[in-house]
Amino acid sequence: MDRKRRSSWRATHWLAAFVLATGGAEAQAPSEETIQYFKQNCASCHTIGGGRLAGPDLKGALQRRDRDWLVRFVLDPKALIDSGDSYAQGLLKEARGVVMPSVPGLTRDRAGKLIDLVDAESKLERSQFAGALVSDRPLTPADAALGAELFRGTRRFAAGGPACISCHSNAAIGGLGGGLLGPDLTDAYSRLEGRKALSAWLSAPPSPTMAPIYRSKPLDPDEVLALVAWLQVVAERGDEARSPPMLGFTLAGIGGAALILVLFDFLWRRRFRDVRKSLVERST
Amino acid sequence: MDVRSQISMLFHLDKCIGCHTCSIACKNIWTDREGTEYMWWNNVETKPGTGFPTQWEDQSKYKGGWESDGETLKIKSTGKGRIVPNIFHNPNLPSLDDYYEPWTYKYSDLFNAPEGDDQPTAIPVSKITGQPIDVKAGPNWDDDLGGSKIYAANDPNAKKLSPEQQMQMTAIERLVFFYLPRICNHCLNPTCVAACPSGALYKRGEDGIVLLNQERCRGWRACVSACPYKKTYFNWVTGKSEKCILCFPRLESGQAPACFHSCVGRIRYLGNVLYDADLLTEIAKRPDSELVEAQREMILDPHDPAVIAAARKNGIHEAVIESAQRSPVYKFVKVWKIALPPHVEFRTFPMLFYVPPLLPVMSTKVDGRLDNQTAGLFAEIDQARAPMAYLANLFSAGNEGKLRYALKKQMAVRISRRQATVGDISKETADRALAEADCTREEADEIYRLTALATEDERFVIPPFQREMAIEMVEDPQEWKQSAGFGFRTSPQAKRL
Repeated sequence: MDRKRRSSWRATHWLAAFVLATGGAEAQAPSEETIQYFKQNCASCHTIGGGRLAGPDLKGALQRRDRDWLVRFVLDPKALIDSGDSYAQGLLKEARGVVMPSVPGLTRDRAGKLIDLVDAESKLERSQFAGALVSDRPLTPADAALGAELFRGTRRFAAGGPACISCHSNAAIGGLGGGLLGPDLTDAYSRLEGRKALSAWLSAPPSPTMAPIYRSKPLDPDEVLALVAWLQVVAERGDEARSPPMLGFTLAGIGGAALILVLFDFLWRRRFRDVRKSLVERST
Repeated sequence: MDVRSQISMLFHLDKCIGCHTCSIACKNIWTDREGTEYMWWNNVETKPGTGFPTQWEDQSKYKGGWESDGETLKIKSTGKGRIVPNIFHNPNLPSLDDYYEPWTYKYSDLFNAPEGDDQPTAIPVSKITGQPIDVKAGPNWDDDLGGSKIYAANDPNAKKLSPEQQMQMTAIERLVFFYLPRICNHCLNPTCVAACPSGALYKRGEDGIVLLNQERCRGWRACVSACPYKKTYFNWVTGKSEKCILCFPRLESGQAPACFHSCVGRIRYLGNVLYDADLLTEIAKRPDSELVEAQREMILDPHDPAVIAAARKNGIHEAVIESAQRSPVYKFVKVWKIALPPHVEFRTFPMLFYVPPLLPVMSTKVDGRLDNQTAGLFAEIDQARAPMAYLANLFSAGNEGKLRYALKKQMAVRISRRQATVGDISKETADRALAEADCTREEADEIYRLTALATEDERFVIPPFQREMAIEMVEDPQEWKQSAGFGFRTSPQAKRL
């Protein structure tokens, strides 16, 4: 505790010295915290100068719309879209109807800092958020096979995150399918328009359900590639997403329960039942 | 030597007339509440018969008591590993049908029936559902309504007899039965106490009465399974188990328990004995046939100075030691050796002993007729109608020697009394019978006195319970000085006018 406080003091001193040395001419550089926040909450759908993922490329956003509009949109995208703002409506159309989720814990102050960051990064020749966090080597059938294992949960994620199948299904799963909590991922590859957006999504899943789960247990870049490879294979097979086999599932449940009861009845066939009744039945 | 005092009991089966007064006395005091209708803390069974609950003696079904391989001693029904998986479903519990569904009669029908050609009848209604029932069983069904082909024929004690012996027991001219009154045995090594997961059962330190704490009982019913005599019962209204308390509130005020007090045949005796608790673990592992003797070994001579000194050292009060010296149970069990524990092979060491019955004494036949000549008046005990093996299964874990000794001595006492009072038996015959039975004339007279003439004070030697001292171990009576007395249990509320 003590040592930590001392080191943060030291950092402040260094910073003060740096600001003094540069004459304080530059705008304040984006803090490490803001960069991390962008990575965790924004980078899965947006690049800065790397082209469109699920959401638009943010390079030069401040040239396109003013700061105030951006802050309003970031704070509550749905409200702005619903208000009938024509630019927001246009963005919705570009995203093919996918509304940007509102980001938990986002304050007006932080939104301002994010916009500063986007502005600062836009001015660089190559932003650290230009995309391709994941390697763009060609995908192999081995990747797809690994992806299938990871999706099904027969192989664990290195960081210990839950397997996709616990919440998602797809047409290639077969059997009783996967979980029903998340959407069917049969056409995830095509829906997100390919490898780049999908890998970005998987690197830091932004949806309210997935974000808190994978924040502390992120997928490894190789795992992301493997999953992308498999989802590409699945999407290219062109199968229809199957609705979950409710009847089959119910029947299998009832049948399984009955089977277990029969098994228990067999295992404990010599259990105590009654004394008097069977004695009377035997004797008469 | 760890000397302790134990209230113990003795039932003289030759004197039991099967009137069930004891059961009713108990029922009216303790088990006439809702939820206890089916319980009989005291019940009287007809033997041969299946008893209450049905075939309670058959531990291959109910898994009561202890089992030992000579090295270890284990509870049959449960154990450290089994108690948790079975906690919500204790296997081997008797069902209500194995006891019986208690019922009463709708007496109001007798008075409220409309006028008609027939007499009104009171129909039986279940005391549990309140619906009319077709009565199929009772706590002593064999006695009440017959059906020996079902009940008497399935007596677990007769299972080990040869088919011929079993046939004889129910053959019309050899038919035999006697009564077996039963209460909680307040065992020295109670399985119910050992099995309780909540620690609700305990054996009272000062007198060995086994009690069930209603505050701590959680209704797991491990005791019901574990007690081989099936003398703890589950109250379905309170959700807790209950058992015979040996009327300790009566004992503490110097009265005999209700079932003892009300006994018409005066078959019941009560007194404390001193025993050595140190021997228990070793003795409980002995082979079945040695158990009767082993239990006697554990009961100490209250006149022995070494025993008295050890008792004093253990804090047993002088008056309690003195009471043990006058105990009728001690004489029957240890001095005369004519009383035996029921099913000692369950290894709980019951402290209720039975003087086994001399079944029909006059039962010899000559040329197809009953022999009523003096010479044939008392038949050989081996020719008694109830096979020796049957009684031995019940009272001495199959050890016929112990049983024969007890019966033979009783027979010798009768012969000597016949010689003394009627005089149609010669002194030599009587002396020979006594000698054969390992009995002196003085002993025979004493047995006769305590069996036939004993007063209430001789039958019930109740030790002083010293409650005033026992309470000092728990709280300081001085603490309440000047705070108790005439007044209010709770402070009076100020009245608003």
